[in-house]
Amino acid sequence: MATLRVEIVSPEAALWAGEATAFIARSSEGFFTILPEHTDTVGDLVPGVVRVEAAEGEMAFAVHGGFFQCVHGPSDGETLVTVLAGVAELVTSIDVPRAQAAKEAAEAVLGVATRDDQSDETAHQMALDALGRAELRLAAAK
Amino acid sequence: MAGGQERILRQRIKTVLATRKITKAMELIAASQIARSQARIIANRPYRLGMQRILIEAASADPAAAKKLLAAPDKVATSLVLVITGDRGLSGAYNASVMRAGERLVTSLRTEGTDARLVAVGKKAAAFYRFRGMPVERSFVGFADRPTFSDAQFIAATIAAPYVNDEVQQIVMVSTRFHSAGSQSVTVQQLLPLEMPEPVIDDQPQKLEGYTEFEPEVAKLLEKLAPRALESEIFSALLEGAASFHVSQQRAMAAATDNADELGQNLSRIMNRARQDSITTEIMEIVGGAEALRSGK
Repeated sequence: MATLRVEIVSPEAALWAGEATAFIARSSEGFFTILPEHTDTVGDLVPGVVRVEAAEGEMAFAVHGGFFQCVHGPSDGETLVTVLAGVAELVTSIDVPRAQAAKEAAEAVLGVATRDDQSDETAHQMALDALGRAELRLAAAK
Repeated sequence: MAGGQERILRQRIKTVLATRKITKAMELIAASQIARSQARIIANRPYRLGMQRILIEAASADPAAAKKLLAAPDKVATSLVLVITGDRGLSGAYNASVMRAGERLVTSLRTEGTDARLVAVGKKAAAFYRFRGMPVERSFVGFADRPTFSDAQFIAATIAAPYVNDEVQQIVMVSTRFHSAGSQSVTVQQLLPLEMPEPVIDDQPQKLEGYTEFEPEVAKLLEKLAPRALESEIFSALLEGAASFHVSQQRAMAAATDNADELGQNLSRIMNRARQDSITTEIMEIVGGAEALRSGK
């Protein structure tokens, strides 16, 4: 039987793994869907929501950018999709007040950040990233 | 008087036992941290391996693009050396062996005519290298015990900047690899240009056969992959460094506790003898005094 196995992996932990019927996400080329027996593919993921049609219902993950690889698995007819994300979380586990607070904190940093030297530039970039993450969380949780 | 010696010894035993209490506690704490930091290495494995797999896949699909990004430059004028140590001492040779390996590397780079800039993780490195006339340009402190991925991202962003500006042409990392609780080793690994990872030994080999699609095209994908792969390598080095630190500390503190036990035992033996001696002397004095009194009658 053609099956699809999805793994969502972040550096700190394997977030989720299981059987699915479809995998829907967005790369820098646009939205795409992976069904069982999909061609081997390697690509990137832009920050957004990744949807997995799993046996137990649709699962949604907020993925803050990353990569995916789709290969034919070790056993016959199995297609394996691996998502590698620096930060990812189940949409249902998003803490909305915390994301709201993070968004405000990042905006505050961006408001005063000067870009004189390199360390400030790094701080500025990190605040921008934090803001992006907070906004994605808020949008995904809606 | 003999009683004075006894008092001094009692005081020393008390000190030794107090120290033993501390080393024992540190040993137990380190032991509990080992399991946790090992679990984090295991949790990180799928990500790290997946990242390496994608990198290999992309690089082998378009060797020309990979070469542009990953090949070593013709001439390395300046190298950046990232040394990963701990924030705390009392961990046996853990900090010293990484720092010495870093020192050897810098020395050999300089004799080859390559300038070396030092960046360190951990509080211990700055003083060590300053003393040896190799000032550390930047120290990252405060997270060596429990690194998070955003720490790794921050380090990666900081050290990649001079590479992108072509101030340095090579980034090398000196860190402790954690093979198992019984075996760690100091390794030197080139971070940038990215070294092609060794083909992954995986429990489930997933060799791509034939045609693979890339989204976006390989050259663009590689450009996006490189910084993430750098973060991933640094993060796994931080995790393994932390685990190695805890193992080293546990071992060092266990040895210190054993030492304190032995010292305490020896001291109490000496003390008991001293007490016995003083008692014997006192009895002799009393007996001698009584004898003198009687014969004087």
